[in-house]
Amino acid sequence: MIKKRSAIALSLIIAFTMLLAACSGGTGSNEQAGANGKKGDKQTINFIHWRGEDTEAFKSIIAKFEKQNPDIKVDMTVYSSGDPYANALQAMILSGEGADVFVSAPGAQFNNLLKSQSFEDLSGSPLLENFTPELIEAGKSDGKQYALPYQLVYNVPVYNKSLFDKLGIQVPSDWDGFLAMCQKLKENGITPILYGYDVSPGQLINTLVMNNMPDKDTFTKFQTGEVKATDPWFVKTLEQFKLLVDKGYILKNATGTKYEGALALFAQEKGAILAAGSYAMATIAKQNPNIEQGLLAPITTSAADMKYEGIHTTTFMLGVNAKSKYKEGATKFIEFLTKPEIASEYANATGQLLTVKNVKYETKELGIQGQWSSKKTVFQPRLINTNKKIETALNESLNMIVSGTSVEKTISTTQAEIDRNLTK
Amino acid sequence: MKARNGTLWLFILPGLILYSIFFILPAGSSLLLSLTNWDGMTYRFDWVGLKHYGDLAQDPIFGKALSNNVKFSLTVIIFQFGLSLFFAILVMKNTKLNVFYRTIFFFPTVVSSVSIGFIWMFVYDPNIGSLNLLLNSLGLDSLARSWLGEPNLAIYSIAFVQFWGHTGQVMIIFIAGLQSIPKDLYEVANIEGASRWNAFRYVTWPLLAPSAAIVLAYTTIQSFKSFDLIISMTDGGPNNASEILSTFMYHQAFTYYSFGYATASAVVLMLIIMVVTYFQFRLLKADRVVY
Repeated sequence: MIKKRSAIALSLIIAFTMLLAACSGGTGSNEQAGANGKKGDKQTINFIHWRGEDTEAFKSIIAKFEKQNPDIKVDMTVYSSGDPYANALQAMILSGEGADVFVSAPGAQFNNLLKSQSFEDLSGSPLLENFTPELIEAGKSDGKQYALPYQLVYNVPVYNKSLFDKLGIQVPSDWDGFLAMCQKLKENGITPILYGYDVSPGQLINTLVMNNMPDKDTFTKFQTGEVKATDPWFVKTLEQFKLLVDKGYILKNATGTKYEGALALFAQEKGAILAAGSYAMATIAKQNPNIEQGLLAPITTSAADMKYEGIHTTTFMLGVNAKSKYKEGATKFIEFLTKPEIASEYANATGQLLTVKNVKYETKELGIQGQWSSKKTVFQPRLINTNKKIETALNESLNMIVSGTSVEKTISTTQAEIDRNLTK
Repeated sequence: MKARNGTLWLFILPGLILYSIFFILPAGSSLLLSLTNWDGMTYRFDWVGLKHYGDLAQDPIFGKALSNNVKFSLTVIIFQFGLSLFFAILVMKNTKLNVFYRTIFFFPTVVSSVSIGFIWMFVYDPNIGSLNLLLNSLGLDSLARSWLGEPNLAIYSIAFVQFWGHTGQVMIIFIAGLQSIPKDLYEVANIEGASRWNAFRYVTWPLLAPSAAIVLAYTTIQSFKSFDLIISMTDGGPNNASEILSTFMYHQAFTYYSFGYATASAVVLMLIIMVVTYFQFRLLKADRVVY
């Protein structure tokens, strides 16, 4: 009898010990943060973002913030951009902990976070005065300011200006000029356009469509079926891109080349144009400081018909978690990031243009990007579409062309995918 | 006897509780979740019944993922099974040289799949990759390819990396199986004049069936669940050419926020693995010999 009771007791103890041990794993950092947060009334706010390359800049800024605000500690966690960041953010938002200040991208991600009521409404906050008003529109919904875009990016291909000067090539202002430029580069043994299949389609599609699409809201109409991939302007866009591929102006084997590989080839001066955006310039400058860079968009029409010179995006949208226990501290941290001297420190350390007023840009790359503020640009069409599946289908249409698929087949496949995923 | 059985049940209780919490409950809730349109971000959802299963049947990307999974799994099963058995026979005896070779063959297993993926991504790179450079230097330029970029080739290129990384692991199971076969049986076969092939066919293979069943089931499940390698190497691209069921599920859940749909595909994946494994075990059980 005693043996039986001992066995029962032993089994239960083992079961509960193992259960407790299992349950204690995986939440260590959050629990620690929570414990720190309560200790001596000191708040610990968690700041999560996707820019690993900005870690050092943020560490320095956080140290200054903590010095000025001794009752607030900032724990920064960085996840790789794209899916890993989205997954982590999703888990934190659902749990209600771990992301007091978080960043989001405009478009589908912002839209999904809005649906989950993750954002604290920042409308009317004094910190909004630190921003250029038209540059934070992407963080608005129904007239309310939920997120604050911090970075201003030009999604325009980067080109090697030194190489262009050496070959006597001028930046083209129309489609014929663009083709002639590519041909001259090719004749000189240089790959005209470097393309990484994972990043480039989502970037290049914007500049390819900007002067072909009927109006700047066209991309939102894909998700309701009002606009189709079979529409003449989109067919023309793909035909123009197909021409670039067929003439050998796009990197050979592009579907097997990732963005990092294409960027490395650009830094090694094996190609003249990198299908990316202004955000790549700081990394290129680090890899090869001898390259003088510029931004060059393919104009797909005649110079007279050109509506836009390039694409801009306001992104890295700062938001306060509506479920945060420390909303005040979180808002204070965002406000600190928008102080002109702090924003200037961040911009110059990371090579990013910002949406904040009175920032002093000191690096050469930022100077080049800054010149684009006076040019006529349109907000990234891809991101005004809030249906991620349709966005992916449109981006993938370029990859299909690169991998040798005909324009007709690409269009029918793309439209079929759009039809299956129309927003009801 | 009844009291004894009760005590024995208590001893399996800890495992049973953990198994229930971490497998049966999640699997059960997955079935329910697959009947909803939950987006993974909010606490709201609607019941949609079997809609997702109907949608899966008409989804060309799911169809492609399924077909890619079959290609991937068959390639991995055939090569991983064959090569691991071949190497196991070669290095079965416990000599110093064989132990050295076993270590070499086993080594990729201790490296994480993501690291292996990144290493092979550089090997396969069409512009700077060592594989194409090697082919070019040997004068075999015509064989140089965009290994991960050609839609018809990508899934096989990744399958190669999969069995390159795991052949050494399953080889160990075969070695254990081979070493457990009594030597007398080979002596008898030798006396009876059996050729090496016949000794393998009528002695080794039947007695190796239990190990083969484990290897086959393990390799099948591993290949169907293969995820990290594909995500790190191609993320399912180009144009879904290397998308398999597990990456399809991941993309639906975490890229497109369609958790209900993703869970329906997970249920289908689970059913496929269950059916395939059941038939594999039945097939190999028929060959099994008890001595």
